[in-house]
Amino acid sequence: MNEMLTITIDGVECTCQKGEYLYDVATRNGIWIPVLCRSDAFDDHRACCRICIVEVEERGRRKVVTACVYPIEQECTVYTKSEKILEERAVIMALLAHRAPDSERMAEMNKFMGRSGFDRLISVDGEKCILCGLCVQACNSLGTGAISTVLRGTDKKVDTPYGNPSAFCVGCLSCANVCPTDAIEYTQTDTTRTIWNREFDLAFCEECGSLMGTTESVRHAAGEDSEVPSVCDACRKKKLADEMMQTYRYV
Amino acid sequence: MTEIDQASKIGEIIEAYPADQRFALAALQDMQHAFNFIPEEGLAALAEYLGCPQAQLYSMATFYKALSLTPKGEHIIKICNGTACHLRGAMNLATELKRDLGIEPGQTTEDGAFSVELVNCLGSCALAPVMVVDGNYHNKLRVEQIPGIIESYAEGVTDHD
Amino acid sequence: MINGTERILVCCGTGCIANGALGVADAIQKELDARGLADDVKLDVSVVRTGCSGECEQGPIVRFMPRDLMYYRVKANDAAAIVDSLEGEPVQKLLFKKDGQTYEHMDDNPFYALQHKVVLKDVGVIDPLDINEYIARGGYEGLKKALTMTPDEIITEVEKSGLRGKGGAGFPTGRKWRTAAGYDVFPKYIVCNGDEGDPGAFMDGSTMEGSPHAVIEGMIIGALAIGAEEGVLYIRDEYALARDHIQRAIDAAYEAGILGDSIMGSDHKLDLSIVRGGGAFVCGESTALMASIEGRVGEPRAKYIRSVQRGLFDHPTVLNNVESLASIPTILRDGGEAYAQVGTERSKGTKVFAMVGKVKHTGLVEVPMGTTLRTLIYDIGGGIIDDRPFKAIQTGGPSGGCIPEELLDLPVDFDTLVEYGAMMGSGGMIVMDDRSCMVEVARYYVDFLCEESCGKCTPCREGLRQMRAILTDICEGRGKHGDIELLERIGRTMQDASLCALGRTAPNPVMTTIKFFRDEYEAHIERKECPAGVCAKLTQFAIDPEACTGCTMCSRACPAGAISGGRKETHVIDPHLCIACGSCREACRFNAVLTERRPA
Repeated sequence: MNEMLTITIDGVECTCQKGEYLYDVATRNGIWIPVLCRSDAFDDHRACCRICIVEVEERGRRKVVTACVYPIEQECTVYTKSEKILEERAVIMALLAHRAPDSERMAEMNKFMGRSGFDRLISVDGEKCILCGLCVQACNSLGTGAISTVLRGTDKKVDTPYGNPSAFCVGCLSCANVCPTDAIEYTQTDTTRTIWNREFDLAFCEECGSLMGTTESVRHAAGEDSEVPSVCDACRKKKLADEMMQTYRYV
Repeated sequence: MTEIDQASKIGEIIEAYPADQRFALAALQDMQHAFNFIPEEGLAALAEYLGCPQAQLYSMATFYKALSLTPKGEHIIKICNGTACHLRGAMNLATELKRDLGIEPGQTTEDGAFSVELVNCLGSCALAPVMVVDGNYHNKLRVEQIPGIIESYAEGVTDHD
Repeated sequence: MINGTERILVCCGTGCIANGALGVADAIQKELDARGLADDVKLDVSVVRTGCSGECEQGPIVRFMPRDLMYYRVKANDAAAIVDSLEGEPVQKLLFKKDGQTYEHMDDNPFYALQHKVVLKDVGVIDPLDINEYIARGGYEGLKKALTMTPDEIITEVEKSGLRGKGGAGFPTGRKWRTAAGYDVFPKYIVCNGDEGDPGAFMDGSTMEGSPHAVIEGMIIGALAIGAEEGVLYIRDEYALARDHIQRAIDAAYEAGILGDSIMGSDHKLDLSIVRGGGAFVCGESTALMASIEGRVGEPRAKYIRSVQRGLFDHPTVLNNVESLASIPTILRDGGEAYAQVGTERSKGTKVFAMVGKVKHTGLVEVPMGTTLRTLIYDIGGGIIDDRPFKAIQTGGPSGGCIPEELLDLPVDFDTLVEYGAMMGSGGMIVMDDRSCMVEVARYYVDFLCEESCGKCTPCREGLRQMRAILTDICEGRGKHGDIELLERIGRTMQDASLCALGRTAPNPVMTTIKFFRDEYEAHIERKECPAGVCAKLTQFAIDPEACTGCTMCSRACPAGAISGGRKETHVIDPHLCIACGSCREACRFNAVLTERRPA
């Protein structure tokens, strides 16, 4: 498994382990490749935004691959800025910017990577979501599974079942925090938070008064069989340290 | 069907399969077959049985065309829009049905009598354009034949050959 | 004299059933019962419900063996005459006629004469529900032979045959099996892709209906070769009859000891089951299909690790298409070299095509690889309906392309058409005449794919959305200068950057119609004209008073009541009522309905 390979990315020689993802090798060597649907928080990547495309030349044959999930199995030469890649990345960027016209980040990235000639494209009114799926991945990895993709094709979207407030959502904001385009909206008052059409009571630390999350998220994080904590992590640690100190003093 | 009947039927369908994710689609199809749609209670019960998020099953129910979350009409009219049928005027049939029933493909009439669906190739290209009502094929169909066909189903005529 | 060898075959493929074949079969059965022929052991005449004989438009088709009489367009009330003709003269009115000639035998009919049947050899000939009929024609001989061979020998035989995946991709089947056999990870799976979803294609459905045991035998041999003990047939939701026949064939195979714990008494085992598709075109893509079998949403995954290594449930999996699997028994029985005798240098054997659209004889045909499109359309298909001018043939469905007249003499195989920017595809062939608008055809496929794409990756989902908007604009007179180039830019990116094969091939209908019919796009965009007279917003209809005979066909066909004129009077279209659907033009037998550019 520890077989080492040397590959060339944009003229730079890089050493890597066989099977490593191209994106990881490139970033380690300071070569920038844009990503949207990839997060370090997860081991598997959906490879669906396709913005990380690069050209790989193996045994004299060139092909377009997505760097985030392309495993390096043999010596190869990689081009991240070939004319083909710049053009196709610009098309993908234009598609994303028209998909999510209300996303500032998409507009910015489009300014940076875009090209001209796309004025003709139609925009999806009021949309911010680029359907990268990170929110669903986050929700599933937490074991809540409250949201999923719904429908297919051009109608695809992310939602709770029937668009109703989900009994499984704990209001933890993981989905909103992982979203690259701030597409998941939520509102918060002094005592409540509303997300995915459901209102949650906020939970505060009994010691320091800091926000711990929602009642449901604190309970979910504690696990089914554990007691629901009433103080935040920092206060709990501090309390523990104080107790230790007390003990030592008397010994 | 009463709620109790529905619940026991759902239980019967689900328990016919081992509690394994790979049978999720089959169980959903059986529910579709039994109820003409997938009731919310069915999704919830199956999710609990398989130990998977309900959202995951909801995702499937909206992804697969054979599954539907809303009840369909008593008579189901399928207009084949495969390439051969399309070239021979399938969309004109849909327009005529809209004129007769007031609904677009994908909708059900208010009285629950008819659902119209635009479907992918039914493999009867030689007979294009094809319309299938409750499993009966109407081949090489001309627009002007449609009102009569609809009427015969509305009146409950059973012989459609 | 009836001597007990007579058999009456009634084609009960989907097309013939839709035409009333079951009623015909019942009527013949009743007729035989009434005459005491059915129960008489000595006479032993039986009605065999067979699968598709191929010439669907002429159905229901009834065939007599061994006299080899072929009757077309049979009705239930022909039953008595048909049973009479067991001993007497053929029923003249039911025989195939062309150019004043009558054809009694199947092989005389030009539709069949040029064909070469391997996959379809038993389809329409045997009762698909009777395993003994399959065995009587050499069925399960290939498996018997395979059981005496090592996996390596089986694979070598398949490699010798040159068989390539007939789902369209053309990957060498032997190589796929060898790779899968090389992994020492168990369990392994063999999966049959029966999710044929191309609109206008029904090759695999008919094969499963008409010769289910051939598919099963192919799967068993494949399982032996790679070391799999479980197999799954993923069959399209819409194919109820195919599923039923496959299920009954599986049951019969278990009963006969061909499936189960001991395949034909050997120490090999295999279990087969059917998974019913959920109604999603994308599930024809291998990774989406496997996701669907696993009970998940049919979304493809990035395929840098191949299914032969990590497929179904992350285990080594061989996925073969129905037609490839149905070719395997013959290859094992007669040897790979015999199979490779037919076909071209790099595409061996035969290919089944479903030929539909504006061609005279629609139906299922199997021809040697390398047959030209011209032979298919004109010699086998009998040419274009009403002898109108040929415009294009669409192959490979939404993943394929439109091929123009100038390429009709190219041999059809895996590689040649690709060099010209088109492809053979899985076998769907739709013939189009001058009344088909190529821009509208492209829009039709893009529309289809907008709904059938899984929606996971950006280029496919968003590219299709934009293509649909642009093509709709072009068809409705809002096309702009530069639209063609923009479609090409989006299309190229989809071809390179989409996640799965569906997305990578999705722009093909657009790209090929632009390549071969660019002038038609330009006419729509620059002159706001639809040369084929299809796009309603750009077309108006008028009746040529010189040609109109006053037959009233057009006014009866008009759904809008826009055509006036009595019998034997010249008819007139009211442009205010006309919805430009084209029904009148289809109905007119005298070419009296003209189309012209609709003024803006």
